[in-house]
Amino acid sequence: MRRKASLILLAFAVFFTALSPLLRWYAFPRLAKIPAGQYQDMVLEAKDATLLDYDTMKARKVPKVTIVQTLRGNVEASEKIERTAGRDVVVWDSLSYVQGPDGKMVSKLPERYIFDAHSQEPVHATGESVDGDPVTRQGIEFKWPFQTEKRDYEYFDAQTRTSAPIHYKGTRTFRGVKVYYFEQTIPWTKVKFPKIMPVEGITPESVAKTGTTRWYTTVRKFWVEPVTGAPVYAEEIHKEELRGGTLLGDRDKVTAFAGHVKMREDYIEYTVDLVESNRTLVLLMTSYLPWGFLALGAGLLSLSLCLEARSRRPGDPEPAQITEPEPVGA
Amino acid sequence: MRALIAATAGLAVALALVLTITAMGSPAGSTSPKPMLTTVPAHP
Repeated sequence: MRRKASLILLAFAVFFTALSPLLRWYAFPRLAKIPAGQYQDMVLEAKDATLLDYDTMKARKVPKVTIVQTLRGNVEASEKIERTAGRDVVVWDSLSYVQGPDGKMVSKLPERYIFDAHSQEPVHATGESVDGDPVTRQGIEFKWPFQTEKRDYEYFDAQTRTSAPIHYKGTRTFRGVKVYYFEQTIPWTKVKFPKIMPVEGITPESVAKTGTTRWYTTVRKFWVEPVTGAPVYAEEIHKEELRGGTLLGDRDKVTAFAGHVKMREDYIEYTVDLVESNRTLVLLMTSYLPWGFLALGAGLLSLSLCLEARSRRPGDPEPAQITEPEPVGA
Repeated sequence: MRALIAATAGLAVALALVLTITAMGSPAGSTSPKPMLTTVPAHP
């Protein structure tokens, strides 16, 4: 009986011990993925910002500029790309909509970002774009990979349509969550005018004819929860200028926008809660279950060996012999 | 010999379980009908 029990325990011990690395290194990369149909919005604000008044072509102080960012997973597009890519792909259609204090549109920047659902590596396919222009992204955008490392990453900048390093600047605690802080500085760079301008009748082509160009610089800051790779907070010190051309009269340049953009408080709380719950799910697959299964396997193996040893103990009585009853003599 | 069979059985079940779960994968879901926002939402 003891030998049978020890064999069953041994089978379970091997089962749980094998499950531990299989879960961490085989199942996790295949199961932990960004959902293809995710929808998320985010509100960022720049208080006491500087904004160009297109009527007077002069920069003025405004109490607040709001940026509404929407990410929508396009499931149909991702399934189409997956057929040729041979891996799980996420297609994010995004819109950064900038609104002035009067509620009018300042700018809007649509993007299509295609990436590997687990590794976050960009996938290049037809449709990858920024403001309708085809782009070939290198590195990451919006989110870091699961198990973010303490190193610099290449981060795609939608305004310049180029990638540049975003530097790891240390580990911090943000609202009780351990985060990695990343920072990227984009130096003054000439960038395209958006396809849709804030003033009716003005197009990028008509502005280009005046010789005026658009320049941009930013310092981008992210506080990233490393287990999920999700930013829990972001800030941007963003400046835009129009330079040269007849549009500015006798001026060399004019500020089109300058502001310190920060996430709105209610969105910070929402994001922190969301990231914390997703962190638990990821840790379940990468830490809690693998270590738990390993400990359980070791325990069951010890129990199995113990039972086996006891069943072989020499002092144990031999099993009773079943003897045939002797016939009763007459 | 019986110990080897028991260990192999445990390993085989673990492999089968993990392969089945990963083969099933996660549901793709569907594209959200919600629009790309051009107004400021009141709350998340």
